[in-house]
Amino acid sequence: MSAHDLPTPGTARAPGPEPGAASRSGSATAPAAGTAGPVASVRGLSVSLQRQGVRSPVLRGVDLDIAPGEIVGLVGESGSGKSVLAMTMLGLLPRSARPVITGSVHAAGTDMLHGTPAQLRAVRRSRLGVIFQDPMTSLNPTMRIGRQITEVTGDSGEAVTLLGAVRVPEPARRMRAFPHELSGGLRQRVMAAIALTGRPRLIVADEPTTALDVTVQAQLLALLADLRREFGCSVLFITHDLAVAAQITDRIAVLYQGRVAEIGPSAQLLHHPTHPYTAGLLGSRLSLSTPRTGALPTLPADGVPVAERLRGCAYHTRCPLVLDRCASQQPPATPVEGTGVLRACWRDSTAVRDIHRAVVPAEGLAAHAGPLGAVHPSPGGSGKPAADLAVEVRALGCRFHSRSGFEPRHTVDALQGVDLDVRAGEALSIVGESGSGKSTLLRVIAGLTRPTAGTVVLRGTAQMVFQDAGSSLTPWLTVGALLRERLRAAKVPPAEAARRTEEVLAAMGLPASVLKVRPGELSGGQRQRVALARAVVVPPTVLLCDEPTSALDASLAASVLNLIREMRRELAMTVVFVTHDLAVARLMGDRIAVMAQGRLVEQGDAHDIVTAPADPRTRALLDAVPRIDVPAARPATGPADRPEAAR
Amino acid sequence: MSGTTRTTGMTGAAGAVDTAGAPLSAVPRRRFALPVGERLRPAGRNVSRVLVALLVLTTLVALLAPVLAPDNPIQPVGDLNLPPLSAHHLLGTDNLGRDLLSRTLIGLRASWFSALAVVAVGLLAGGLLGVVAGAFGGWVDALLMRFTDLFLALPGALVAIAVNAALGPGLLHTLIGVSVVWWPYYARIIRAEVRGLASRPHVEAARLAGAGRLRLIGRHILPGVVPTALVTASLDIGNVVVLLAGLSFLGLGQSAPAPELGADVQNSLYLLLGQWWIPIIPALTVMLLSLIANLGGDALRNLLEGDR
Repeated sequence: MSAHDLPTPGTARAPGPEPGAASRSGSATAPAAGTAGPVASVRGLSVSLQRQGVRSPVLRGVDLDIAPGEIVGLVGESGSGKSVLAMTMLGLLPRSARPVITGSVHAAGTDMLHGTPAQLRAVRRSRLGVIFQDPMTSLNPTMRIGRQITEVTGDSGEAVTLLGAVRVPEPARRMRAFPHELSGGLRQRVMAAIALTGRPRLIVADEPTTALDVTVQAQLLALLADLRREFGCSVLFITHDLAVAAQITDRIAVLYQGRVAEIGPSAQLLHHPTHPYTAGLLGSRLSLSTPRTGALPTLPADGVPVAERLRGCAYHTRCPLVLDRCASQQPPATPVEGTGVLRACWRDSTAVRDIHRAVVPAEGLAAHAGPLGAVHPSPGGSGKPAADLAVEVRALGCRFHSRSGFEPRHTVDALQGVDLDVRAGEALSIVGESGSGKSTLLRVIAGLTRPTAGTVVLRGTAQMVFQDAGSSLTPWLTVGALLRERLRAAKVPPAEAARRTEEVLAAMGLPASVLKVRPGELSGGQRQRVALARAVVVPPTVLLCDEPTSALDASLAASVLNLIREMRRELAMTVVFVTHDLAVARLMGDRIAVMAQGRLVEQGDAHDIVTAPADPRTRALLDAVPRIDVPAARPATGPADRPEAAR
Repeated sequence: MSGTTRTTGMTGAAGAVDTAGAPLSAVPRRRFALPVGERLRPAGRNVSRVLVALLVLTTLVALLAPVLAPDNPIQPVGDLNLPPLSAHHLLGTDNLGRDLLSRTLIGLRASWFSALAVVAVGLLAGGLLGVVAGAFGGWVDALLMRFTDLFLALPGALVAIAVNAALGPGLLHTLIGVSVVWWPYYARIIRAEVRGLASRPHVEAARLAGAGRLRLIGRHILPGVVPTALVTASLDIGNVVVLLAGLSFLGLGQSAPAPELGADVQNSLYLLLGQWWIPIIPALTVMLLSLIANLGGDALRNLLEGDR
């Protein structure tokens, strides 16, 4: 049994597409195994899949080579087709999606489209490795990890060696652990160990760090770079975040609506993008150097249905440099002289360089000190009267008892002795890793969780925006009903209620027609806008935000953050914003409070925290924030010795 | 796999166009080479619809039985022991000369509506208890659920017979007997559903938005319980039909001349070797009702789950 036959829900167990499934229009021949040719080679690949009876193209003519020992990043927003490309390369497209495939895909010398199921299994077993986003669903929860690895290696000694190779501490002891007993980072390392079995020539990593904390993410990225050096394998690294790709990749392919917009050496592509989409992605990335004042840069949202965009360049409806021909003619991939970059754009690359210069913020933090330019009753000071505090948290403790199965009950202190003041009108960001207690603190302030010690004083009313807008809106009620309920509870008279509903929808950029629609029919970004609308339709004193953008694509996230900032300015609200991302915390808060293991470890002016962190845990968080400006400013923990791009 | 579902974000669009700009219809499709299981899937929804329609049809037949029945089910109307497919008597007559089609239709009506009544009472009583226990939690929950456990611990059929016997024969008394043992299942299932929904973010969000407790239960929790309750109840109708027929077979239930499926089997069982159709027809009817209820309930679940 190979690593890929492990009981992974969904695709990993599904059989590959039948050989007959693909029409044999691809003419490329397989590179002979063992020569210096690419480890994986994708030529003219088009894939269309069927979902709920509707067939639509997912990949539309993708070319990609991965050289031996090369790390290639595959970057794109959700829906760009990056995971489908990975699944096609592994021969793991689910048959239930009825894939129609044209083009050719060769991996480790095997034709992944026309090989027999036995051939595909053999090559997946011995030559390919895979790491998925969520190791909890990729590992068998009923088996000790030692057995799961040994099942692939066939030898427990080798399993221990592999666990050591992926830097799992005390590998021999961990062999006896069940997946749920390991942290997310360790589980992902176990997946890496399984992927390494048989010395694969290519590891496909599909968003392997998305579910991990930033510090753990940095460690895993370093591990992947080390593995490449030690084992000489290539890596196809899939991510939605350009900065994460910047950390370890040699080359980056930017995918947009199933086509490669641009592909080239990482440094070249990140510093001198030649496609407007890459420039837009770079420009809308929130980083530690994004200006704190003024609106955050966003990519324009796309209101045009996909099908109407595909005849020409799919990006033309969002592109600031659009030409007439963009709507009707597909731009071919053309090389940019002397850079190793291939781009698919009708515009001249110098035009793109100009918009990139215009949107990417100036480097350096010093220029952006000071408050966010929002309501400030008075500057902060130590001798303030308590009446100016919107939230007063004193010696707060929150202890959870867990009694799961037959294990002895144990207690978890989610909060311990937390003292926190939030001044009226202030924007405070709370930062910490998962499990640091930041969400619990917010829930206690909101009154959703009862503390076991200490007190919380909230002067005024509080409303909350949840992490997952989809689940925070009652699925069977219309948006109108949800808003009416809030207005009714606040005893707003009907005429006034109608006016406020209209106003709040306009402020959120939502059409009045959403009132008659249920949340399930809205997109992720629209749902979070609706959730925000419900929170502010009757302006609360304090707006509590629990990672409201962590589930959204970068360009959507920035627009929701802009809305929260606008609402705060207009309604003079106090905002408490919880996030795991220091870059976002800096943009959303006048002050930042850092939490670790249930305690408040540091708080202060946002600018000071980011430029001069006092606590080592703050520094760790700061070092782990992925940055585009690599390799010069790369932290020491990162993979320092990146070889030059393979071409 | 999350990856694949994410990528299907763009699959909402029809009118596919491939890379070269040519319509996707130019690409050969595998329309005829699909695995059997998948080819059935769209058809499966239609089968489910037919089965749910059968549930409704059965209820209609039960409702219209007095109109549909060609003869008086209690009075002798023809020759004795006519076999099925006789002239004027589609299912024949029994040993007293009563029309079997009429007796079956009227018996079906009694069985079906009795089962619906028991399930409705169970759903209402158990549901109310379950909602209160689930929504309030704490000692209210503990008290109500231990009370429920007490009833669950009793042997259901025996208690139903005992209650029925104590009250005396009669359809109403049988229904009371069965209802007494039937509600605890609903209480349990609905309490679990309510508890699950109550901890969901949308309920917390509604609470923060200022919705009171009754409003939370009525608008943000109960509508989510309805699908489960409906499916459980419809799957249960078959069980109740069989239990009621069993009790009436044992002599409980409606008194003598009135047509009732269980009692009719019992009364004519001795004719099995001679006039076999007289006991077999009501027995088959019970089986059919139970089958329709079970298949219909399953189909309802498939349809409701597919909608989510």
